[in-house]
Amino acid sequence: MSNVLAVLEQRAGALKQVSHEVLTAARALADALGGSVDALVIGSTGVDATGLGAYGADRVTLVEDEELSLYQPDVFNEVVTAQVRAGDYAAIILAATAMGKDLAPRVAARLDCPLAVDVTAIDGSGGITVTRPAYSGKAIYTAEVTATPCVISVRPNAFTPSENAREAAVETRPAPRPDLRTRTVRVNEPAGERLDVAEASIVVSGGRGLKGPENFKLVEDLADAFGNAAVGASRAVVDAGWRPHADQVGQTGKTVSPQLYIAVGISGAIQHLAGMRTSKVIVAINKDKDSPIFKVADYGVVGDLFEIVPRLTEEIRKVRGG
Amino acid sequence: MKIAVCLKRVPDTETRIKIGADGRSIDEDGVKFILNPYDEYAVEQALQLKDSAGTGEVTAISLGSSASQETIRTALAMGVDRGILLETDALPLDPVPIGKALAAELGSGDYDLIFFGKVAIDDYSHAVGTIVSELLGIPSVSAVGRLEIADGKGTAEREIEGGVEVVEFSLPAVLTAEKGLNEPRYPALRGIMMAKKKPLEIKPVELEEGGLSVVELSVPPARPAGRIVGEGADAVPALVEALRTEAKVI
Amino acid sequence: MARVRPSDTQPLLPLDRIIVRDAPSDESIEVDVLFVGGGPAGLAGAIELAHLVEADAKAAGGLGEISIAVLEKSAALGEHSLSGSVVNPIAFRRLFPDLKDEDFPFRQPVKHEAVYLLTKNRSFRLPTPPTMRNHGNYTASLCEMVRWLGKKAEELGVDVFAGFPAEKLLVSGERVIGVRTAPSGLDRDGRQSSSYTPGTDVVARVTALAEGSRGTLAEAYIQWQEIKSENPQIYALGVKEIWETKKPLDTVIHTLGWPLPGDAFGGSFMYPLEPNVVGLGLVVGLDYRKTNLDTHGLLQEMKRHPLFRPYLEGGEMVEWGAKTIPEGGFYSLPDRRFGHGVVILGDSAGFVNVPSLKGIHYAMQSGIFAARTIFDALKKGETSAPYLASYDELVRDSFITDDIFRTRNMRLAFKSGFVLGGFKSVMMTLTGGRLFGKRIPIETDADVWKQARSPKALQPDGELTFSKVDAVFKSGNATRDTIPSHLITEGDVDREVAEMYASMCPAGVYELVDGKLRVNAPNCVDCKATDVLGPRWMPREGGSGPSYKRM
Repeated sequence: MSNVLAVLEQRAGALKQVSHEVLTAARALADALGGSVDALVIGSTGVDATGLGAYGADRVTLVEDEELSLYQPDVFNEVVTAQVRAGDYAAIILAATAMGKDLAPRVAARLDCPLAVDVTAIDGSGGITVTRPAYSGKAIYTAEVTATPCVISVRPNAFTPSENAREAAVETRPAPRPDLRTRTVRVNEPAGERLDVAEASIVVSGGRGLKGPENFKLVEDLADAFGNAAVGASRAVVDAGWRPHADQVGQTGKTVSPQLYIAVGISGAIQHLAGMRTSKVIVAINKDKDSPIFKVADYGVVGDLFEIVPRLTEEIRKVRGG
Repeated sequence: MKIAVCLKRVPDTETRIKIGADGRSIDEDGVKFILNPYDEYAVEQALQLKDSAGTGEVTAISLGSSASQETIRTALAMGVDRGILLETDALPLDPVPIGKALAAELGSGDYDLIFFGKVAIDDYSHAVGTIVSELLGIPSVSAVGRLEIADGKGTAEREIEGGVEVVEFSLPAVLTAEKGLNEPRYPALRGIMMAKKKPLEIKPVELEEGGLSVVELSVPPARPAGRIVGEGADAVPALVEALRTEAKVI
Repeated sequence: MARVRPSDTQPLLPLDRIIVRDAPSDESIEVDVLFVGGGPAGLAGAIELAHLVEADAKAAGGLGEISIAVLEKSAALGEHSLSGSVVNPIAFRRLFPDLKDEDFPFRQPVKHEAVYLLTKNRSFRLPTPPTMRNHGNYTASLCEMVRWLGKKAEELGVDVFAGFPAEKLLVSGERVIGVRTAPSGLDRDGRQSSSYTPGTDVVARVTALAEGSRGTLAEAYIQWQEIKSENPQIYALGVKEIWETKKPLDTVIHTLGWPLPGDAFGGSFMYPLEPNVVGLGLVVGLDYRKTNLDTHGLLQEMKRHPLFRPYLEGGEMVEWGAKTIPEGGFYSLPDRRFGHGVVILGDSAGFVNVPSLKGIHYAMQSGIFAARTIFDALKKGETSAPYLASYDELVRDSFITDDIFRTRNMRLAFKSGFVLGGFKSVMMTLTGGRLFGKRIPIETDADVWKQARSPKALQPDGELTFSKVDAVFKSGNATRDTIPSHLITEGDVDREVAEMYASMCPAGVYELVDGKLRVNAPNCVDCKATDVLGPRWMPREGGSGPSYKRM
């Protein structure tokens, strides 16, 4: 009971970045427990699994079916639980993504084993101990796993992918075709509409520093440069009628905690900070270096937003394009 | 249509969290508790489905301490017909035993639909509803943002990274509600008055311990001090570099 | 120099909107007795009445089941309750004769007390005036007391409905027959949104108005019935903060003088709740004489004083709130506090003793008296005015009137300025109120002329001192942003008037933008100062406003 199963995620044949994080976490745990790492990729045919060894997989199993271009919970659950039952695993690790959050409880329930969700750290020295935030990030649990195997979903971005090269044996198997209790029929791409601030993983918000509603174009351009970013606003500009209420971030507006929050021309009254302080990374752009927003910002740029923001947009386009 | 809604009593989002004397749970002194906000969407959806069916019964079920009766009363005031409290002193961190206790109750209820909130804002497990469906052997869709039910079948939409999954299933099923599924109603005065007279059954339950033993509950370290990357547009490359290599968010 | 008389631009209380003669809707709820306002007065009244009904049932008195309801506008009991407070336990003891002081939700007995006269940088200890002695009293949080009373009331079968402001008084002829609660789910322009819920009519045999300071329905009733008082009611505004401190405090502190200007009446307080938790605040009479007086700003300035700063520095401001206090005293009490099917309790009636800074035990005691009167009336099966008149008599023959009468002119004396007022008040204390005992006539706060002065800018540091926006956040105010404005303004007002509102309002509701008055209605914390000097405050969607926890 010292091996670790890493359940990876792919989309359209390409592994997601988060899968490398899962593998990294699995490798570290397996090393601590003295076991090996099995990687499991479920999907349509033609998934490119090369390079998984680089992140620490000892064995890679590709479970393929052309019917499986979409996440089918019943198939995925059956594949994972069958592999766990056939193996000797201390832990099953997957990512706490939309898929992982749905799959992890199914696997834990079917195997009747413990489930630790949204884990930010795993310690394998002396049993398995996990760390996970709770109470909207205001407290952190440290818990010992007292029964194995256990299912662990790891929070995206919490584990930094690191290479740990080894020769990985790759095996390909067909997927089972159980009755589908739930059937995912399609994935609708977002219809070009901007994401809601409460849901987006990147939020760019503008405030009074923009001087007028027409200048929100700068904020929108920056959001577009990121691809899937939402545009938010401070209460002052919403009250002034520059932006709709739905965009307002703050205590009386929406509470957001994206991966990246960029505050443009927002001074940062507490009521605004209350709505975004749990964001993972906060960037502030403001001309007044004494603005309270800089007190919560991880990165600040002081100066004229009318020069800084277009430049940032340009740089982000370069990064995303390249 | 027979519908169950599972509820949790949680600390208000604005509550300042203080760690209790045992170092493993929060200090509940002075904490205001509310109905888990995601469960409100679940309640609303159940009520709307019952209303549009024109007939049926909605049952609210909560697992928790005696104080959870108050939470059930909130749902009764919104229009739920009856309540069941599965009374237990403490809930384990591992969601699996919680799912088992609820499944034991729900399995005997002959429900067409079972709603949960997608996540409780205290422990953030995002798991119990899905566990229940698995234990009952019925379909489930988690984090449902749109729902249509007709002729014993359902179509649900759930947001995933960069898209919306469209999922079909047949009843009975478990659905966990995402924000935006609907606009939950406010309990009306008359509803609160009537809620006091609605049946609320209390059943003591014994939970398994589960496989997670809490060693410590702690307050996260203060956010590391930020830094001013620079002044003016010339600082932008340094900012982008920091976001890529330090913060790793782009 | 420009002068402003606030009443010149103050809209009238819209009686036609508040007092309605519609027949109650078919959906109405009927109760026997309705307490409007879940504060100390309303809850003490509900509890006493429930006790009496229970005793009657035990003694086979034949009254039968009596339904008692309490309507409270805040989302949960106590969230709009704010007081100093150092509480006199007498009303708790009378309400719960079987309980001991330790059973009550007080924080700690007053051990030490001190009164200081402040100058900008110094403080001078004064002898504690007899009216301000607090031996035997307790520091407490009104929020906590109210929540505790609410639990007791519910245990006795009282229906407590939090989150339902009473918006209209339902009348039939001269009789009050109940209230209509405020609707919820209106959008900014007053249109019904998808979550619209209409108000509910609550019909009662007796309606007890216990809305607190400057209660809208009580004001409307008094105006409608043309109930007179010898003096008009006057008010003070208190702004209060709760701090978790590094340095413990064991003394109840009051101060006079700085930072108030000489022509304003008021003072500050700092009370220990726990060794390292203090409540501190500043109270200023709204008859102040310059338009730029800003109670919130003065409190921020005051915290920098060497008397306060050492306690606060390195600590954390955890809560902020504001509330008006009726200060007129004896001569401002309405001539009658009852009518057909109605009684008026607590702060809504003006039962506050300013020199001793006390109101809670008077409020509770008035609730107890009202309950006894209502109980007798229900027994007789008749709740018209003559059957409720004994409420006024009970109050008149009690310590409420004794105390308030004894200090009847002390606050009013300060109308003649701080020094002369101080002298007169000392003489009054020495003579039990007999010297200078003749009524000092006063005008309403809104009729007092104020000299126009430009607003003072506050430079908050975010650690010891806070902006109004940050303060509102610390009040727990999470009012829906898309709510329609509940404040009635008089169209475009002069710059001086707008600046007066902006300075006066501690919650930053009023702003002067491009020379025009802007109203940020969701900021409002229901302190009612605006209703005293300017735009009228109307009840709004339930659950709006602050959510005080330990105020």
